[in-house]
Amino acid sequence: MLVVAGLVALAVLLAWPVPRALARVTSLRRAPRAALVLWQSTAVAAVLAALLAAPAALPALLGREVRLSQSWPTVTVAALLSAVVAVRLLLSGDRVGRNLRAARRRHRDLVDLLGTPGEGADRHMRVLEHTTPTAYCVPGVRRRVVLTQGTLDRLGPDELTAVLAHERAHLAARHDLVMEFFTVVHEAMPPWLRSEAALREVHLLIEVLADRAAVRRAGAVNTGRAIVAMAGGPKPVGAMAMADSTRVASARIQLLDADRIAGLPVGVVAATMYAASAVLVAVPLALYGLAIAELSLV
Amino acid sequence: MPSTPRNRLGDLERAVMEELWSTADAHPEGRTVREVHDSIGVERGLAYTTLMTVLDRMAKKDLVTRERDGRAWRYTPASTRAELTSESLHHTLGELAGDTRRSALLHFLDESTPEEIDELKAALAELEARRPDQRRA
Repeated sequence: MLVVAGLVALAVLLAWPVPRALARVTSLRRAPRAALVLWQSTAVAAVLAALLAAPAALPALLGREVRLSQSWPTVTVAALLSAVVAVRLLLSGDRVGRNLRAARRRHRDLVDLLGTPGEGADRHMRVLEHTTPTAYCVPGVRRRVVLTQGTLDRLGPDELTAVLAHERAHLAARHDLVMEFFTVVHEAMPPWLRSEAALREVHLLIEVLADRAAVRRAGAVNTGRAIVAMAGGPKPVGAMAMADSTRVASARIQLLDADRIAGLPVGVVAATMYAASAVLVAVPLALYGLAIAELSLV
Repeated sequence: MPSTPRNRLGDLERAVMEELWSTADAHPEGRTVREVHDSIGVERGLAYTTLMTVLDRMAKKDLVTRERDGRAWRYTPASTRAELTSESLHHTLGELAGDTRRSALLHFLDESTPEEIDELKAALAELEARRPDQRRA
């Protein structure tokens, strides 16, 4: 029963305090790939712990080592946790997946109708006749990179290279799937348990990762100039400014040459995060293994 | 892009909208399937019925509006190209709720407020100072 209680405690820890604490450790952004792996393993470990809690209670019950009269509170909590998490994840996965794909399909149809298509290697590109500098990609099998004329007018050739490298990095590395995974887990949680800060941090890490690709193609300064130029353009009427957007943008500029930031060497930070990720996923599996071992001993 | 039926249909809808937009001033009353077919269908070797189907679909998608004119329909664009472009950019920002919005389309930059641009410029100036080798001559 200790194992079951451990799994429940682990699920609660990984769902509530851990993401909130992790979102505050901004130095992890220096190694964005390792940080994303750490975030993913945190979410996977939380889900595993919750889903395995009920099955882990079975061996003890079957083995009759523990009286049900004593252990029913733990068993009830474990069963409820596993069942609720399983159902909520399935529902959220279905809803988020369908919404995302429908929104992308509608939007892609619109930009295909309105945009001037690129040629050759740029055949996935669409240029919209609009003065607001905007660049984004529509992920998926029929992917698109969308730019406005305002972007083309505003950016120099090297800055444009940086923007395109950034968007292509999103598409090539399927960052949309990473975001989709976190959105599904996020929405599967009840609203009072969700951490907006955690989701924002994951989003920022994805942007930092795509910025790295832009820096490799166009250099840090050109990428920084592109970010400033895109931020400074005219805005469409009624567009919602996100409160944290500029803080995010200036954090991105500061991270363009993250190698200069003082502290532990990036390699050490990254290696530590990879190791921590492996441990995180291993813990719920090990606990479940213990519960199974108990059964075979009886 | 391989020329799948879906892409060909997309190209055709695009061509039809171009035709309707470019003739909207000269023909505010709209254009019939026959006229659209004469302008863009013949050179592409398209059947009249193909264009009829495409325009019918586009009316159902609210891209075009239509009015009866005798036995034929007259089609007009539901909105100008500029309106539709604005709308689609606006949609990318506002249509979806926060969480889904962040994942549906991956933007180079989220919207930012003009007051805070100075902060960005300062960060860029620091970056340029650190990287004199990459400064533009």
